[in-house]
Amino acid sequence: MSALPRPSTIFLAAITALVAVLLYSPLFVPIVSSFFSIAHGDVDWSSPTLSTYRALAGNHDILAALRTTLIVGLCTVVLSVVSGTLLALYYHGRRSGRSILQFIIFLPFLMPPIISGLALLIFFREIGLERSLLTVVIGHTVFVLAIVYRTVLMRLQSMSRTLVEASYDLGATGWQTFWRIILPNLSSAMVGGAILAFALSFDETMITILVTGTQSTLPVRLWAMMRLGFSPDINALVALILMFTVLLCVLAARFLIPRQMATERN
Amino acid sequence: MSQLVTVLAFALPVIFVLVPLAIFLVYSFFSVDQGTIVYAPTLGNYVRFFTDPIFLPVFWNTIVLCVSVAVICILLAYPAAYFLTTLKGRWRYALLMLLLVPLLMSYVIKIYAIRSILGLNGFLNKALVALGILDQPSTLFVFNMNAILLTLSLLLIPFAILPIFLSLERIPQTLLRASDDLGASSLQTFLRITLPLSLPGVASAASFVFVLAIGDFLTPQMVGGISGFTFGRILYSQFGTAYNWPFGAALSVALAIVVIAAILVGERFGRSRGTSV
Repeated sequence: MSALPRPSTIFLAAITALVAVLLYSPLFVPIVSSFFSIAHGDVDWSSPTLSTYRALAGNHDILAALRTTLIVGLCTVVLSVVSGTLLALYYHGRRSGRSILQFIIFLPFLMPPIISGLALLIFFREIGLERSLLTVVIGHTVFVLAIVYRTVLMRLQSMSRTLVEASYDLGATGWQTFWRIILPNLSSAMVGGAILAFALSFDETMITILVTGTQSTLPVRLWAMMRLGFSPDINALVALILMFTVLLCVLAARFLIPRQMATERN
Repeated sequence: MSQLVTVLAFALPVIFVLVPLAIFLVYSFFSVDQGTIVYAPTLGNYVRFFTDPIFLPVFWNTIVLCVSVAVICILLAYPAAYFLTTLKGRWRYALLMLLLVPLLMSYVIKIYAIRSILGLNGFLNKALVALGILDQPSTLFVFNMNAILLTLSLLLIPFAILPIFLSLERIPQTLLRASDDLGASSLQTFLRITLPLSLPGVASAASFVFVLAIGDFLTPQMVGGISGFTFGRILYSQFGTAYNWPFGAALSVALAIVVIAAILVGERFGRSRGTSV
């Protein structure tokens, strides 16, 4: 961009700062209040404390929901990475039927989650599958599949054909080429896709609310609790989760961005 | 072996995506009698949607609400995205990351925090009273449509920043320099070059934000109170308290049509201008 007059730069910077404050204020409020105790609905600012964190360790309800969320997340990651990679390998370089199937894979991601969730809810009922963690895992997998598929497919497309050709020239079989050449080249895209899938599953609420049985994931549990208002220990949980998500973001960025940047620079 | 792979590759998306959506569509033509679903085709649900005085106004209000959310998001996101493109190298992407990271933060928790900020005893009211702008806490942002509007806008701004930033970044520098060389002021360059060339990004940003806003039922449920009634909430209630799944399915079809239209419009404007550069 060409240099702007100073007042307009200041104006733009001010709006950007405002946007940053708006985006981060709902994240900072619970974090800051997690270090203070709340009495009679008012925060006691005088004495910082870790009591909310101690109370959290004793909240079995929330810890159980957290465990459920992690189990669902791990199952979703395994299912979506395996099937997303297989689909990407299958459709890569194949023209017939690809665009229509790709469209189907992307549908749950494009449609409002309430529609995807309700469609699955009715589907499970019609095939006689009780609502349980299994239905939640299926719902999450269907939802995140598009992201994993796309991440892996993009890496496949940026992979040089010559690697595979060289492998065949040197006498490797199809399987050897797959295990020694293709899979190692895809691994960082798969890990990046897995992290994104886990992050999405960890936060998925709208589909989960509709397809879950008696056990609910953390966001759903929190949503149910919010109607009554939070106990202070939730602030501690929020702070921990936010830190955890930042960690996931950094990890995902590490696996997905550096290689692209590196290839751009060369 | 390869045939098995082919079958699997087609079967998975079809079984778990297409079949549920198809069943869903079929369900919208069924009806409910005393708590059980009657599997006989009828247009009753759609007739009810168009004739009942409740549904169309809420539907329309929700569309207006979500368009407003998209407008607010773009008004805030455009200057921010523009500012990012004036930065050099590493700073540009660092700041972009900073503005996008809140996307991955827990949605439910953000809604809750915003609700506590907007509440009657919330931070916003306290600040306004402390600054002397208000005499007493205002109920303007408490459990109503305004609260939904503000909350959705706050949640969705990052979705507007990214496409606008990408379209601004794609504008060839040579065009801006040429405009400068020909004696245009920076305002003229912005209005005649930058703004028109960034409109595809604005279109996809608007369509993203609109689609995400209209599909949300958590936010209105959390911050809307009794007066903040949106289409998403009505839809959700058909599957909970009202237990009328076929009617809920018909309402979802109406929602899906609006969403598809918004995506197509976004694509149309996002592409036609984009390719002409």
